Amino acid sequence: MNRLQIPIEHKKLANGLHVVVAPDSTAPVVTVGVYYKIGFRLEPQGRSGFAHLFEHMMFQGSANAPKMQHIKLINSSGGVLNGSTSYDVTNYYEAVPSNALERVLWLEADRMRALKVDDENLKNQRDVVKEEVRVNVMNEPYGGFPWLDMPPVAFRNWANAHNFYGDFADLDAAHLGDVQAFFKTYYVPNNAVLLVLGDVKPGEGMALAEKHFGSVPAGAAPQFADPSEPEQSEERRGNVPEKFGTLPAIAVGYLMPKRRTSDWCAMALLDQSLHGGRAGRIHRQLVLEKQIAVETDGGVDDLFGYNGPTQMTTKILHKPEHPSEAALAAFDAVIRETQEKGIGADELQQLKVKWRSDYYATLESGRGGYMPKYGLMHLLACFTLFDGEPQLVNNILDGFIAVTPDQVHEVAKKYLRNDKRAVVFRIPAKNGLPAGAGSQEAA
Amino acid sequence: MSSRAVEVAKGVPPLAPEREVIWPKRTKVKLSNGLQVILAESHSIPKFHGQLIFLSGNAAATDRAPGLAEMTATVVRTGTQKRASRQIEEDLRSIGADLSTEAGSDISAISFTGLSEFAEPLLDLVQELAREASFPESEFERERRQKIEEVKLDRTQPGFLAGERLRKVLFGAHPYAQVSPSGAQVTAYKREDLQSVYREFYTPQNALLLVVGDFEPQEMLKGIEKTFGSWGGDQPSEKTFATPANPRGRRVYLVHVPGAVQTQILSGCHAITRKHPDWIKLGLTNTLYGGAFNSRLVINIREDKGYTYSPRSAVNPLRHHGYFSISAAVRNEVVAASLTEMFYELNKLRSLPVPESELADAQNYLSGVFSLGLATQDGLLAQFSTVAQHELPDDYLETYRAKVRAVTSEELLATARKYLDSANMQIVLAGDRAQIESQAALFGELEIFDAQGNRLAS
Repeated sequence: MNRLQIPIEHKKLANGLHVVVAPDSTAPVVTVGVYYKIGFRLEPQGRSGFAHLFEHMMFQGSANAPKMQHIKLINSSGGVLNGSTSYDVTNYYEAVPSNALERVLWLEADRMRALKVDDENLKNQRDVVKEEVRVNVMNEPYGGFPWLDMPPVAFRNWANAHNFYGDFADLDAAHLGDVQAFFKTYYVPNNAVLLVLGDVKPGEGMALAEKHFGSVPAGAAPQFADPSEPEQSEERRGNVPEKFGTLPAIAVGYLMPKRRTSDWCAMALLDQSLHGGRAGRIHRQLVLEKQIAVETDGGVDDLFGYNGPTQMTTKILHKPEHPSEAALAAFDAVIRETQEKGIGADELQQLKVKWRSDYYATLESGRGGYMPKYGLMHLLACFTLFDGEPQLVNNILDGFIAVTPDQVHEVAKKYLRNDKRAVVFRIPAKNGLPAGAGSQEAA
Repeated sequence: MSSRAVEVAKGVPPLAPEREVIWPKRTKVKLSNGLQVILAESHSIPKFHGQLIFLSGNAAATDRAPGLAEMTATVVRTGTQKRASRQIEEDLRSIGADLSTEAGSDISAISFTGLSEFAEPLLDLVQELAREASFPESEFERERRQKIEEVKLDRTQPGFLAGERLRKVLFGAHPYAQVSPSGAQVTAYKREDLQSVYREFYTPQNALLLVVGDFEPQEMLKGIEKTFGSWGGDQPSEKTFATPANPRGRRVYLVHVPGAVQTQILSGCHAITRKHPDWIKLGLTNTLYGGAFNSRLVINIREDKGYTYSPRSAVNPLRHHGYFSISAAVRNEVVAASLTEMFYELNKLRSLPVPESELADAQNYLSGVFSLGLATQDGLLAQFSTVAQHELPDDYLETYRAKVRAVTSEELLATARKYLDSANMQIVLAGDRAQIESQAALFGELEIFDAQGNRLAS
């Protein structure tokens, strides 16, 4: 078996900034990322959507690179850039021809040191974010399904249950003071990791990191609210009207075990047994065999990239002639089968080969084809910020390869329980409520 | 344009000397049965990516039914003489592979990726799908019923509705006008229609096989010769269609989406194919206009005015024709304001030479991002595939950057004047007519449609 090994250098600067360098001279291209350990899960209460709005503000200007200069300097160096906000991290990244490496590091350090933004920038980006929410959620069939629909039904802690894209009233209430306070609290070098991947010489990446980031002052260690959930002991259900789409949809989410445990590894493979494409049990039974559903997919979203309560979620779009409860019953039959019989050794062996293949693909690429090593960057960042161990990228596979059929059978019984799940029905508005879906329970 | 003074950055480190961009050597072989094989090594991960491309797609079958090549591709993966659908999917999983079959306007394709250690069984399956698909009756029926639901869903997407209407407006009676079948057309598909498309299109004479990744090329070639060498079949007859007229005069096409809280703007005109000598000049013009984050359109309607999240423009090359498009999803109150800025920026490119520094920035962008694909197997495959499908010269990739950097400001002005005229741009708006009709009518004669494509009284 051919195992991929990524050479990694890792160091923590005096100000607490982690630096991870992974040299690879295959192509004259370098990928740079800066990850801050703050996502939308722990944004301030009363400021839903703020972590994401703030991400936009990081492109609005820093001490020595005013508005539009970040974008202009990266594009005019022949590179691309972007950022994204997720549950527990926010990232900023660039892929550039390697002769622009120092310029990229200078820019990232400049905005880690000091944001320079004003009310006009904030108003501008608030407008942009509202259009982002409209295009991705409010004006889009099944927009936000289930990633925005599920949390308020499934969770009780505000951190996990609120609207991550933001209520417009909260976005409107955000002011410049919030921006600077958020920056000062979470955007400190001791809450971040810098990643330099690709065409950089061993040693050179560390030296440049020290040169540009070494003098950024450390801040107080951020205090994080507790994201844990009270024990769930009953199935939770909610209904969301679908404004544009023609098919009824169902999402079912089961709580995942704690990350990096053996249960977690077994659940990840069970997830693949259930959701792995057209060979996956759910697609095969609901779409191909029973032909109740038109589309199914799902799984744990970003298995390595979360650091708090999360779910394995199945999404089903089904034919309108079948009642929602019938579609759910067909799904339940698939789950029951894994609980009663587990999965066979042959199937598990197939899943492991596919898992390894997918893992390599993740490391190489992963974002729209234009951002080399996005996946490697993301994994290194999460393993550094959550575990303090970027080297996990080279041995995390071991835990998945070691999973046995018995373990998969056990986790199916232990975690795929109705009292540990939440179900969201998203029904085309003109069809009314699903038969027997129960009353609205969304918090 | 900008309502505030542009500030510059202070203390920016200069760029270091560029490392040479070297594209991997391609091994190109034509097998005796006509199959063109293109191979390139890339050892970034122990995998490979490939595509078996047939140079006939939906356009070549539109006279039979729209979307027929796509339906054929969908059913191809559901059974062969040797394997049933479930076997195919489990075999793929057991070797860690992904495979998809699809068709666009100009091509049908089987795309695949897998572990290098299992190259042989994956290529064997690809070969089997290309030669021995059995079109099982029950699979065909299921996929057809699925497709009927999918085309209904498509018609609830503003982006789809706008794109479909623009293609109709720009290409009229040409097959490129058809991007999707209606539900009734899908209902009328027959299994035999798919089988004749398969027999005609899926032949080695009509095919390109590209494989990029972690392998030794001579060994890979030997395996391919063994697997694909005995496959036979003829070149399909090429159909020709009258060149559609580029619409003159600006008109507005509103696709009514009741309850839409935003309007999808899509405006376009004819442009050129990738083989056209002006391709790079128009590509650079597009980069400056709206093809990059640091472009005039994005700076204007996003970063200055906040009308939209994702404005962009593109030159879209089809094999026989191309078109230019500008898109943005904007809030309903600023439809007219957004169109005004879109056309202002277009007119400016036709009226004033682009300053040298802005030109240099755009040239650096276009030549730089061109080589980002070097770092990944699928990035390389995409570039090689473009060259092969569009029959571009062998040195296209190697000479591209120099050609981009040779373009002058005068040439850009001439290019914008030749292709981009706001007076002839066709405007499509997918949105709620009650919110936007009066704004729409300011920009040209207005036609209104529902999501099913029926003309509504205006």
